[in-house]
Amino acid sequence: MMWVSWRRQRAQLITLLGMLVVGAGVIALLRSTMIDAITSSQLARCVTQALQDCTAPDGAAKAFQEAWTTRLNIGQAVILGLPALIGVFIGAPLFARELEQGTHVLAFTQSVRRTRWMVSKLVVALVPSLIVLIGLQYLVSWWLSAAGTLGPRKNGSFTALNFGIEHVSPVGYALFAFALGAFLGVVSRRTLAAMTAGLGAFVVARFALSGLVDRLVPAQRLEVSPATNVNVYHDGSLVLETGYLDAAGQLVSKEKAGALLQACKSTSEGTPNSQEGFLACLPQSGLSKWYASFIPKSQAWQLHLVDLAIFGGLALLLLAGTAWVLRRQS
Amino acid sequence: MNARRQPEQALPVTARDLGKKYRRGWALRETALVIPDNRVVALVGPNGAGKSTLMGLITGLLRPTTGEITVFGDHPTGKGLHPAVAYLAQQKPLYQQFTVTETMTFGARTNPTWDQRYAEHLIEQAAVPMDAKVGTLSGGQRTRVALALALGKRPRLLLLDEPLADLDPLARETVLRTLIAEARTQGITVVLSSHVLAELEGVCDHLVLLHSGRVLLAGDVDQIGADRVPLGQLVLDRMREAAAQDQATRGAAA
Repeated sequence: MMWVSWRRQRAQLITLLGMLVVGAGVIALLRSTMIDAITSSQLARCVTQALQDCTAPDGAAKAFQEAWTTRLNIGQAVILGLPALIGVFIGAPLFARELEQGTHVLAFTQSVRRTRWMVSKLVVALVPSLIVLIGLQYLVSWWLSAAGTLGPRKNGSFTALNFGIEHVSPVGYALFAFALGAFLGVVSRRTLAAMTAGLGAFVVARFALSGLVDRLVPAQRLEVSPATNVNVYHDGSLVLETGYLDAAGQLVSKEKAGALLQACKSTSEGTPNSQEGFLACLPQSGLSKWYASFIPKSQAWQLHLVDLAIFGGLALLLLAGTAWVLRRQS
Repeated sequence: MNARRQPEQALPVTARDLGKKYRRGWALRETALVIPDNRVVALVGPNGAGKSTLMGLITGLLRPTTGEITVFGDHPTGKGLHPAVAYLAQQKPLYQQFTVTETMTFGARTNPTWDQRYAEHLIEQAAVPMDAKVGTLSGGQRTRVALALALGKRPRLLLLDEPLADLDPLARETVLRTLIAEARTQGITVVLSSHVLAELEGVCDHLVLLHSGRVLLAGDVDQIGADRVPLGQLVLDRMREAAAQDQATRGAAA
């Protein structure tokens, strides 16, 4: 049965392999060109150090970013978009095309169980897609790390573009997109309908569920006096929530805190307050503490695993649904 | 597959009170049917009589709405076809981009009872080039390939839905002759459906006549034709009767 599925999907598999080979070549070329650009403009130290700390010729970093940011972003977008493409071009037609052309009858009337037919098709389509996805993901990551803090990595691991292409998240998205396409294919029995509906549903689900992971990982909490300088905004953490607490430790509502902050900006005489006066005014008017709940950069892997669990779990449900529809007699 | 009851004695097909309802209405109603061993069965009826539905129920592609059906003692399920049954659908589905050789490999990989030499012999007999893509073959050649695929699995029951429909008269005769020769020498029960009795009259030895979802006539040809009325005449009479009855009921209802 594996041979049959392999023979049926041969053209597709060759295309995938071609994508990987071409992608690897292009990325390797871009990366080496980029490293040359970094060396020739003496920016090598800025790859590992923050831009304000490294010594570089004036305007060199800006010129480099102008030249390379778009290209690096395109590389990221490819990895971000690849799961959708896998769903549309590999998942959706997998069963829909057979049902549309009536060739499923051919498979259903040999001495092979329908479930085995389904599983062999799924494996032959899905495993190579995931290998190509993971391969390209590593290549893009390799390229991005060569740019370091000069490139998109400076924004931290939690921006949508950086988070969605790292660790196991792309695999989770690809599993989901693929299973969604396959399921819509057996339900609609139309290739084109499954492709378009699959793409739409995937994009909607991806946006709708993107905030969910933040809430499923236990966040850390920081409580400091309002005068303290905090680091959470600069160390790449994901800040979920911030606000003020009163002397009793109760949360001060956003509107009230806003009004109090505004009031403290001017003295009792109506002149603008000094920085010291402002900070001294806050505890007096009831804003004793400032708090933040955040997920530190070092916990990003937990978010990725939760992401995989959510999308992978949905994928399993959809594949179970696909098997159910295929085994149902009309 | 459900537990097989006495596989040796079990009849190819038995149906009791069998009915199938689609969204648009009943396609098959209250059908009781027995298809005995070693017969060439003509399943005859006008378009829409329920021939394809009956075959779908035997293969398990469709699920009965009422009653039950057994195939060699098993109830057909959605898991897969009974290993002793081969089915050739009306559209003769084949993978267009496969070569003939690959199509035979497909048969070998998906059927434990596959007989490669027999299948190749059937292809050779049909003079179909082995390395041609299925999509490039003529209608007649494609039927022969589909037939080789169905026979290569060495079935005990072969279901052919309108196998001759898209063939020219010469190809019809060759295909039918090959088919009957194979059926007789291999001891296969063959069920052929057609809306024209004439094309099967000379070759079948069992007849099932369907009309708007009901069995009008079923039995061995030598018994049905015992009172010396020609088979074609008998079938036509029965169908006229049924049509008149239909009209009468419709008139009464109105």
